[in-house]
Amino acid sequence: MNVRKNRAAAASTVWKALPFALALAMIALAPVPALSQENPAPAARHRRRRAELKPTPAVERGQKTFGANCAFCHGEDATGGRGPDLVRSPLVAHDKAGDQIGPVILNGRPSKGMPPLHLSNAQIKDIAEFLHYRQAEALASAGVPSDYALKWMLTGNAAAGKEFFNGAGKCKDCHSPTGDLAYVATKYQPLELESQMLYPRQAKRTVTVTLPSGETLEGPLDHLDEFTVALHDSAGWYRSFPLDQVKVSVHDPLAAHRQLLDVLTQADVHNLFAYMETLK
Amino acid sequence: MTPHRPASPGLVRGLALNRISGYCLAITCCLLLAAPALPAQGLTGQTLLEPPTTAWPTYNGDYSGRRYSTLDQINSSNVHSLSLAWLYATGTQAIKSTPLEVNGILYLTVPDNVWAVDARTGREIWHYYRQSEGDHIGNRGVAMWHDRLYLTTPDAQLVCLNAKDGKQIWIVKLADADLKYFATMSPLVVRDHVIAGVSGDVTDIPGFLDSIDPATGKLQWRWWVEPLPGEKGANTWPNVEAMRHGGGMTWMTGTYDPELNLLYWGTGNPNPVLVGSAREGANLYTCSIVALNPDTGKMVWYYQASPHDVHDWDNVETPVLFDGEFNGKPMHLLGQAARNSFFFLLDRTNGKHLLTAPFIDQTWSSSYDAEGHPIPKPHTAPSPDGALVAPATGGGTNWMAPSYDPQTGLFYVTATRTFSIYYLTARGKAEGWGGRDRGLWDDTATRAIDYKTGKIAWTHELGRGGSSAGNLSTAGRLLFTADNAGNLLALDPATGKTLWHLNAGGTMENSPMTYMLDGRQYVVVAAQDRLMAFALPGQPSAPGMQSAER
Repeated sequence: MNVRKNRAAAASTVWKALPFALALAMIALAPVPALSQENPAPAARHRRRRAELKPTPAVERGQKTFGANCAFCHGEDATGGRGPDLVRSPLVAHDKAGDQIGPVILNGRPSKGMPPLHLSNAQIKDIAEFLHYRQAEALASAGVPSDYALKWMLTGNAAAGKEFFNGAGKCKDCHSPTGDLAYVATKYQPLELESQMLYPRQAKRTVTVTLPSGETLEGPLDHLDEFTVALHDSAGWYRSFPLDQVKVSVHDPLAAHRQLLDVLTQADVHNLFAYMETLK
Repeated sequence: MTPHRPASPGLVRGLALNRISGYCLAITCCLLLAAPALPAQGLTGQTLLEPPTTAWPTYNGDYSGRRYSTLDQINSSNVHSLSLAWLYATGTQAIKSTPLEVNGILYLTVPDNVWAVDARTGREIWHYYRQSEGDHIGNRGVAMWHDRLYLTTPDAQLVCLNAKDGKQIWIVKLADADLKYFATMSPLVVRDHVIAGVSGDVTDIPGFLDSIDPATGKLQWRWWVEPLPGEKGANTWPNVEAMRHGGGMTWMTGTYDPELNLLYWGTGNPNPVLVGSAREGANLYTCSIVALNPDTGKMVWYYQASPHDVHDWDNVETPVLFDGEFNGKPMHLLGQAARNSFFFLLDRTNGKHLLTAPFIDQTWSSSYDAEGHPIPKPHTAPSPDGALVAPATGGGTNWMAPSYDPQTGLFYVTATRTFSIYYLTARGKAEGWGGRDRGLWDDTATRAIDYKTGKIAWTHELGRGGSSAGNLSTAGRLLFTADNAGNLLALDPATGKTLWHLNAGGTMENSPMTYMLDGRQYVVVAAQDRLMAFALPGQPSAPGMQSAER
């Protein structure tokens, strides 16, 4: 599902199908984890990253109660041990505010060796909040949090990365650690820095179009398919031309990055990233 | 405290089955009270077996999945004058379904919605809407049986509608939406079986394929993707817990060979999605093509395209059936361009592997085992510090329809070149995905694969970004698809050269289809929410006149 397109579609149909449009809008606007079996464009995928989960006070209370009463069998994180994994539990999935798990906690499951637990309704509600939070975390596992810890990513050797930057990677042909890359590690979160390092997608292509008259136009490339080229000319006007009537020369600042992706080893990636992280 | 038994292995299965039985009982009772006699009109069994050119009665047009039409009124010499016959806009999210066309009526879907539209004029006949919770990522279309239609829903139900007026006849639960099952696929009718699969891999739930009685909605059989302990394939899982939470969704419409009486279905990725350490082994029968007996649901053979997948490469892409020579011998073949970027050719009578070849550049494998399974390169599995891999989770291709053209002997696929970094984020026991890839870039092309060699005969670039555009080839020596800039394309299937194009004002997210009515051939495609029919100008329009059947 492409959230951005859904929003537009919902907005345009309000006049004729209000309830349906509202339903669509609610679906579109809800925090959706990046959980597709299909493949939206990467940009769309990034846009629909789930809002970061934050435990509420009830979740924190529930975690404590769970830790003291349930973790012995079900694990500190509720993923199971001697007792079942409650994150994958259908009962928890169907529970609303403790209505399903409450009776199980209060009565136990003697046939399966679970004793009754004497907890208050408030404590049960808190435990339910905690378990639902854990299930939400599992759902959100189809996303990489933007504050993903640097320590997980920093496995490379910065010196080797610097050597690659100046040598085999030919990065220094276009970039400088004191020029365009100065303080780059302070500009981006680690995860974003790694993506930018591999493919800085904001870099735009430019184009030179030569008209039949010999006149040339240069500017940012707006559109290129097999039939049409379009650019913004030096006066700021949009101009488009049939491809079979003009000569086109595209300058792609990312061509070197694309070529590099084919040959980079995992070690190169991690070493280069470790080097980029030194540029603070 | 007495320890519990380990997580109840049968719980998920038991729950789903009990609920279905309950529904079925209620429905059967209703039907007994008001059993309608099935009229001879609607869709006949013979039309399903040998569709005439006047019909497109299944998701893929016919059981083979070739997406090849024998129609040639629109052909390479006149396609330049192709023009818009009509347009129908749904005003919703993009159309990802392929419409059915039966007796002059088109049936198309988006999630929660079905429309019947006049196939000659594009006028709406009726609209069915049922709001539901669940993942609304897309819907592929309906199946038809006599005068009934079958739709899967975001809350994993199967709805039966009266094709005449769109009124709901019954609804049954395929799976438990609270466990994050949902459904997008177009069911497939094989005689008196409605075959329906399910989606969902954000939680660790097992995949299955159902056969439902088209009259009553009663479950006829259920084939589980993961084996039970002691069954064949169980040794490819580390333990019962992993097996019971192993994923493998059946979310694309399969194909069927009536002579062999075999149903061919693709299965999805295992769970946890990116965390292989939680499920050591090949993880059968995920990421496989399986051949099932449609009457019993028993598996006859399987071929696993991605053993122990850790990249979300669902192997659900259409298993395309065609007959042809291989190594000089006439054979019954099955070809699949798989999400993992490899083309597989099998003997569909027994599942024997014949050929593996990449159809687009990828970086994760450079060698195969004796049975043609790609062997992963070291360090291409997701890792906490990120692994750079091509393709991304969306794969080298995906659900958009491929096509096989018997005139050229070429297999056409929408192929995406895409890089991504795969991060493993799970700490402790992994649940759900346990990580995610971050996409870097995509480029898409239509590629023609010579099935005999696996070599690429031609490549037609479709532009930057991903694509959902499917393919249709015709006897008119045309291949219909679309580029990423919103252009509908008719290509020469032998060379990939563009013969016709039209800017449709939005990208194609479905797969094209074609039919003949009153002596006039229509090609129907969608761009975003707009369904468009193209035809040649000035063609005869003689009511009741039908072209020769195939």
